[in-house]
Amino acid sequence: MEFFIQQLTNGLAVGGIYALIALGYTMVYGVLKLINFAHGDLFTLGAYLGFTCLVSFGLTGYIGVGASIAVCVALVMGLSALAGHILERAAYRPLRKSNRLSAVVSALGASIFLQNAIMLIWGAKGLAYPADLLPNIVVPIAGQPIPLIRVVVFLSSIVVMVGLYVFINRTRTGMAIRASAIDQGAAKLMGIDVRHVIAIVFMIGPALGGLAGVMVGVCYGQITFSMGQLYGLKAFTAAIIGGIGNIPGAMLGGILLGLIEAFGAAYISVAWKDAITFFVLILILIVRPTGILPERVAEKL
Amino acid sequence: MKFIAAMVMMLGLILTAPLAWAADPVKIGVMAPVTGQWASEGQDMVNIVKLLAEEVNKNGGAGGHMIEIEVGDDGGDPKVASLAAQRLISSGVVAVIGTYGSAITEATQDIYADDDILQIGTGSTSIRLTEKGLPLFFRTCPRDDDQGKVMAREVAALGFKKAAILHDNSSYAKGLADEVRGIIKDSGVEEVFFDALTPGDRDYTTTLTKIKTKNPDVIIFTGYYPEAGMILRQKKEMGWDVAMIGGDATNNSALVDIAGNASAEGYYFISPPGPSDLTDPMSQAFLAEFRSRYNTEPSSVWSMMAGDAFKVLVAAVENVDKVSAESLAEYLHNDLKDFVGFTGPIAFNAKGDRVGDVYRLYQVDGEGRFVLGQ
Amino acid sequence: MAAKIKDINFLIRIPLTLAVIAFFCLPLMGLDPYGLGVLNQVGLYALLALSLNIILGHAGMFHMGHAAFFAVGAYTTAILNTGYGWPILATMPLAGLAAGLFALAVAAPIIHLRGDYLLVVTIGIVEIVRIALVNDIFGLTGGANGLVGIGRPVLFGFKLTRPHHFFYLIWGFTALSMLLFHWLEHSRFGRALNFIREDPVAAEGVGVNTSHYKLMAFVIGAVWAGFVGTIYASQMRTISPNSFNFWESVVLFTIVILGGSGNQKGVLLGAFLVVGLPEVSRGLQESRLLFFGAALIVMMIFRPQGLLPPKGRTYKLPSEVARS
Repeated sequence: MEFFIQQLTNGLAVGGIYALIALGYTMVYGVLKLINFAHGDLFTLGAYLGFTCLVSFGLTGYIGVGASIAVCVALVMGLSALAGHILERAAYRPLRKSNRLSAVVSALGASIFLQNAIMLIWGAKGLAYPADLLPNIVVPIAGQPIPLIRVVVFLSSIVVMVGLYVFINRTRTGMAIRASAIDQGAAKLMGIDVRHVIAIVFMIGPALGGLAGVMVGVCYGQITFSMGQLYGLKAFTAAIIGGIGNIPGAMLGGILLGLIEAFGAAYISVAWKDAITFFVLILILIVRPTGILPERVAEKL
Repeated sequence: MKFIAAMVMMLGLILTAPLAWAADPVKIGVMAPVTGQWASEGQDMVNIVKLLAEEVNKNGGAGGHMIEIEVGDDGGDPKVASLAAQRLISSGVVAVIGTYGSAITEATQDIYADDDILQIGTGSTSIRLTEKGLPLFFRTCPRDDDQGKVMAREVAALGFKKAAILHDNSSYAKGLADEVRGIIKDSGVEEVFFDALTPGDRDYTTTLTKIKTKNPDVIIFTGYYPEAGMILRQKKEMGWDVAMIGGDATNNSALVDIAGNASAEGYYFISPPGPSDLTDPMSQAFLAEFRSRYNTEPSSVWSMMAGDAFKVLVAAVENVDKVSAESLAEYLHNDLKDFVGFTGPIAFNAKGDRVGDVYRLYQVDGEGRFVLGQ
Repeated sequence: MAAKIKDINFLIRIPLTLAVIAFFCLPLMGLDPYGLGVLNQVGLYALLALSLNIILGHAGMFHMGHAAFFAVGAYTTAILNTGYGWPILATMPLAGLAAGLFALAVAAPIIHLRGDYLLVVTIGIVEIVRIALVNDIFGLTGGANGLVGIGRPVLFGFKLTRPHHFFYLIWGFTALSMLLFHWLEHSRFGRALNFIREDPVAAEGVGVNTSHYKLMAFVIGAVWAGFVGTIYASQMRTISPNSFNFWESVVLFTIVILGGSGNQKGVLLGAFLVVGLPEVSRGLQESRLLFFGAALIVMMIFRPQGLLPPKGRTYKLPSEVARS
C-alpha cells in the first residue's frame, strides 16, 4: 500500500506537467485542426528563458527566491507567448488555407529550427538550474513523505488548468474560442474575429508550455536543448488519449499518462515503461477511437 | 609579355615543386559528433585537435610535414557517420581520430579498413571493437571490461553486500552493467535489482521507489552523467540515504551542477583521470590555452583522449620515413612506448588497445569536487 | 491536337531520359565515394518514401511509423544472415514477408482510426518496436548493440562491397520500384485508393471495401520497406535499434509531403532535398540544421501542395480513343 501511494504521487507529479503541455497541443488543435509539432520546443524555450532570468541575471540575489520565481514565471510566460505568436505568423498563417499536411511539415521545420536555435544560443551542453534554489522540505501525505516541490508543482498546474477551464467557459473571449473551434465559418458570420482568436490561442498554449518548462527546470534541474522532443511526444500522446481538441480531456489524458508510466514501471518493468504506455494508448484508441473525452464536434461528412 | 610572365611562373612552380614535395602536408581527419545529442563532446574534440594542430604547424610541422585537419560530423548517428567516413576518405586523409560513441565507431570501422585508413577511437570503449583483428584500428580510451573489473573490485572493497544495478539500455551502459554483474557474484555481493531506465526522462522517482523496496546498500549506475545527476538529486529529495557508484560516463562536472553539492556528496565513480586531475605542466599549459581561446573547459576526459590520439599520430608522423597508414600503424604497434599523453603514459598492444591501468576510484566531496580515492 | 501533345511529351522525355542515363553513369565519371555514399543514402530514403507514398500519398492515411516496418525487414535479414548463414539476397523475400505480416497484424485493429489518431498510434508502434529491439526481444536482436557482421549481397557470383556497387543495386531497385508503383497507381487498386483519400464516405457508398483497400495499401508499403531493410542491413553491415527511431519516420513523412504526396517524381525530389540538403550544407557546421528547418517552412509556404504535386488523372475523350 505504501508503495502504491508513493507511486501514485510520483505519477501525478509527472502527469501534471504532461497535462500542462498537452493543453497547448489541444487548444491549437481545437481551433486550427493543426498538430503544432513545435510546441515541445516552445516548452524547451521556456525552460531556457527561465534559466537565463533566474540564474544568469541573478534575480534571486535582489528580491529573494519566492518573488524572483514569480517574476520569472510571469516573464517567461510572456516571452513564450510572444514566441508562439511569432511562430504562428511566420510558419502557420501563410498556410491557413492550404492542405493540413503541409502545415504539419511546416511545423516540423519550425521544430527543427527552434531546437537548433536554442542549441546555438545557449550551447550544446545542457544547463542546470541550481539545486539549492528551494529548500528541500518533505511533507507527509497519507503517511508518506513527499517532497514539497512536487506538491507545489502539481497543485499549481491544477490551479492553472482550472483557471483556463473557467476562462474558456465563462468569458466572452472563451466563448469566441469555443465557437471558432466548432465552426470557423459560422463564427465569422457571428462577428467573431477568428484571426484574433487564433492569435490568442497561439499565445495561451505556448505560455502554458513555457510555464511547464520552468517547472521542469526548478523541479528536476537538468535542461537540454533536445528535451522538448520527448516531452512533446508524451504530451501529444496525452492530448490524443484525452481526445484532442478537448480541454478537460487534455488534463485527464496528461494525468492518466503520468499514472500509466508510473504503474507500468512499478509493477511491470522499468525498461519497458514507454512501450507499455504506447500499448495502453493503442488499446484505449481501439476501444474509443476518438479518445476518452472526444471533441464535441461532429465530423464533417 | 604575358607569355613570358606565364613561363616565369611555370618555371617557378617547377623549381619549387620538390620543396613542396619535401614538406608534403599530412591530412588527418577528426570524426566527431559536432551536432546531435553528443554535440558538446564533439565540439570539444574538434576544438582540442585544432588547437594542437595549430601549435604543431607553428613549430614547423611534424617532421617537416604540415598537418591539415579535416572535420567530419558524425551527428552521433551511424548513418551520418558512414557518410562522414566516406567524405573524409575522399578528402585524402591518412588517419582519422574518432569517434565518441561505440556504435558510431563500429559503423565506420569497415569503411576505413576497406580503404586502408588508420583510425584511433577516442571514447569508444565497447569491447568488441578491438576483437575483430583490424590492423589499423587503435583507441586511446580503455575498454569496458577493464572498467567492469575495477568497478566490481571497488564495490566489494568498499564493503557493500547488496547491490542494485541500473543501466540505461545504451550499448555502453548495458555492456558495463553485464560485465559488473558477472564479476560481483563471485566476490560475495548479492544482486537485488537489475533493470534499465529511459535516458532523457526527467523523473526517476518511480524507479528509485521501486529499487528502495529491494533494500540495497549500494546503487550501481552504469549510464551517463545527466541521469546520474538527476537520480542523486531525487534520491536526496526522497530522503533516501543510500550509496551510489557510477562509471566513467558520469565523470563530468555537470553532474554536480545538476545534482547540487549536497546531493552529490559521497557519490563514487570509476574513471580515468578527468581534465581537472591533469596536473602535469604540459596538460596545465594546454588547458590554460584552451581556456583563453574558447572561454570554457573541456567538459570531460574523452575529448582529451582525442588530443592524445592526435599527439601519438604526430609522434608517428615524425618517426616514420614515408607517411602511410601502414607505416604509422607499424610505429604505433611496435615502437611507441611510454609516450607522455595528457591522460598518462600511452602504448598500444597488438589488438590496438591502450595498455596499462587507467581507472581510478573517485568520490565527490561536500564542495562538489571530484576527489581521488585511495 | 493529339499529335501536338505527343510532340510536347516527346520533347520533355528526351532530356529526362538523357538525365536518367547520365545519372546512372555517375560512378563511371569518377564521382568520389563520398558523393556516391550520399546518393546511396538518398536512394534508400527515396525507396522508403516511395513505399510510404502508397500509404500516405495515395490512400491518404497519416502514417508516421514507417521505420517500424523497415526495422522488421532489416532485422529479419540480419538474424537470418548472421544466425543461420543465409545469403543476403535469399533473405529479401522473407524480410518483405515478415514486414508485411507484421503490418497486417498491427494495422488491422487500427485501420479505422481517423487522421491524427492514426498518426499517434503509428508513432506508438515505431516506439514499441524500437524498445522491443533495445530490450533484446526473444534474445534475437542483440539489444542496444544491435547485430554486427552482416554479410554482403552476392549477385550472380559477384560480391557487392564498394559504394558504386551499392549505387547500382539501390538505384536499380529504385527504378524497378517506380515502374511497379507506376503500374499500381494506374490500376483499379490505385484508383480505389485515391477515391478513398478524396472521399471515404462516397467510396464506401459505391461499394469500395475501404478497410480492405486501406489494409492492402499498408501491407504493400510495409513489404517494400522490408525489402529496403535487407539492402540497408547489408550496406551498413551493422544495425542497431537507434537507426529505426521515431525521428526516421518523421523524415520519411516529410519527404513525401514536401515532394508532393502521390507523385513519384515529387517524392524522389523530396528525398534529394531532405537527405541531400543537410549534406551539401556541411560547411555551415553546427548551424546547418537551423537553416534546414527554416528551409522546410519556406518551401511549404511557397509550395503548399508539395514541390511537384500530382497532376490530376486525365482520361482520353471517347472520340480521341476512337481516333487513335
